[in-house]
Amino acid sequence: MGTFVQLVVDGLSAGSVYAAIALAIVLVHSATGLINFAQGGMAVLSVYIAWWLTTRGVPLIVALLVSIVFSIAFGALVERYLMRRFERGDPDTAVVVTIGLLTLITGVAGWLWTYNNQQFPSLFSLDTVSFLGVSVSQRSLGTTAVIIVVMVALQGLFIGTKLGLALRAVANNPESAAFSGLPVGRLLMVGWGLAAALGAVAGALVAPQLTLTPGMLDNALVYALAAVILGGLTSPVGVVVAAWLIGVLENLAAVYVPFIGYDLKVAVPFILIFLVLLVRPQGLFGRKTVVRV
Amino acid sequence: MARAVDVPASSLRQRPWVRLAAPLLLAVVLAVLPLVLPESTNETLARIGVFAVAVLGLNVVMGYTGQVSLGQIFFLGLGAYITGYGVQQDWNIVLVFLLACLGAAAAGLLVALAAARLGGLAIAMVTIALPIVGVPLAKRLSDYTGGSQGLSARFADAPEATGLYDDQWQLYVVLVIGGTVFLLTRSLVRGKFGRAFAIVKGNEAVAASMGISPYRYKVLAFTIASLIGGVSGFLYMFVIQYTSPETMSFGHSIELLAAMVIGGAGSIVGSLLGGAYYVLVPELTNQVDSSLTALLQGVVLLAVLFVLPGGLASLFRRLGRSRRRLRAEPGPGASPTTPLSTAGSATATEEPGKERQGHA
Repeated sequence: MGTFVQLVVDGLSAGSVYAAIALAIVLVHSATGLINFAQGGMAVLSVYIAWWLTTRGVPLIVALLVSIVFSIAFGALVERYLMRRFERGDPDTAVVVTIGLLTLITGVAGWLWTYNNQQFPSLFSLDTVSFLGVSVSQRSLGTTAVIIVVMVALQGLFIGTKLGLALRAVANNPESAAFSGLPVGRLLMVGWGLAAALGAVAGALVAPQLTLTPGMLDNALVYALAAVILGGLTSPVGVVVAAWLIGVLENLAAVYVPFIGYDLKVAVPFILIFLVLLVRPQGLFGRKTVVRV
Repeated sequence: MARAVDVPASSLRQRPWVRLAAPLLLAVVLAVLPLVLPESTNETLARIGVFAVAVLGLNVVMGYTGQVSLGQIFFLGLGAYITGYGVQQDWNIVLVFLLACLGAAAAGLLVALAAARLGGLAIAMVTIALPIVGVPLAKRLSDYTGGSQGLSARFADAPEATGLYDDQWQLYVVLVIGGTVFLLTRSLVRGKFGRAFAIVKGNEAVAASMGISPYRYKVLAFTIASLIGGVSGFLYMFVIQYTSPETMSFGHSIELLAAMVIGGAGSIVGSLLGGAYYVLVPELTNQVDSSLTALLQGVVLLAVLFVLPGGLASLFRRLGRSRRRLRAEPGPGASPTTPLSTAGSATATEEPGKERQGHA
């Protein structure tokens, strides 16, 4: 029983990280209609900045804040100077551009800081706390808590503020938004910046566990994309639920299904996708889209 | 679409005797070259052939049908593993070849049946899993794959009767099998199926309203791409004689995609150029600074997307067009041998090519 609870809590913690990256992908998709395959790569770059600052003696929390600010700026610049050209065009080309960006960022990180694993300090201690007779690690609890707080804050931003309203208007219909006087271009930059910041938080939380390498979030990106497919591109809540489901199921499968084990647990979300797609092609929570010819 | 490769044709190439003689000449050159080139060049050419076939497969699903696939390298790896295992078990080599093709095609069909159900970019999002699941899977099935150690199989020794060196024999086999695949694919994308792929790429709703099921053609394109991937896997094992889980890593998958875009999406010549890019450029960048390889690849890919969305293949098309324009400027009298009607039709065939560049 103790193992089971520990596995579920760890799964929720991993799932929260996937959820944050998946939400960043949904955020970008709803604003610009494209899938950013470099979302993980951008997050890794920001974690490297934080790590580099800590090696220079900057306190961890300050380094993290600086890296998040960097992420917002970087995301906005990428939107303005790289993606804007391809947004109105063919989505396939735009996807290839994000893949090019991923290659470039991985290359830059590998060139500046080598491909060796770097130790990234953790925000939370590795100690466990006992709760109702089972012990769970503080890091898992902390990771989940931080991500939930960030998500609630984001939801508050989108629902409760003028900026959020404008962002939603641009995502819903850029042309009408422009006609009603909204600075669409700048709002798209804000959207990309927020998405990048979300990824940066997720990256910083998971880095101590995975150790920092340029390809650290490649697997997490795959999980996040799986969560996006399962939850449906149109449903942020669905994506978060799907990400937690994936995190918990893969952890349980790794321990209780002998063939899968730890090395093959990355296959779990795709077996899940395979099954779900056969029944519900629009995802668990997604809506069917109808195209007018 | 069907004329895409004809676009760079100048009026010279449209004459009947040139159309007959050029392929013959090409065949003779290809038959003689392996005999006269040094060993290392032959080996490089054979490797280019292997990856040109892999890029060609990716082009079928991505360049021609417009479905981004990040998993093509998986089918190369699968084909290579099937080949390696078959050779170790001493199976008949023709049987091994067929198994490598069919095994990859069957895996591709299975993936496509699920992935193509989702519209838009879902194929990209699902296929990214193939290399990422493929590597640990190959390590796990160590009874068949040799685990992390990999699998080596030596079956590319030149038969005594031919009197060829091994490298020459390898290049000949790659040329024959790869050439056949290229010719077959060229017919495929220029014919009925190619037109169906193009309309699915252009607008799925229109395709459906014309009675062309986007789902069915996406699955078909993906399966053919996997089949070609299997062929390239067989050739990979034939030329490189060793495969490991690293063969189908995520990084290689992205490099293959980059090679396709840089060579030219939706272009047969582009696939060849892509294969050459895949093999030659890492060698060049490694000589400069091996830690810069990924960075340079990203820069080149983005630069091509910005400046030359049709890839290197469209460069020839562009050059040909500007040359024709230069020639046309002095007036029709400057080239009396060219009938005006031919010149007119040449510009007319350009239009579809021009339009396609926007899609890449």
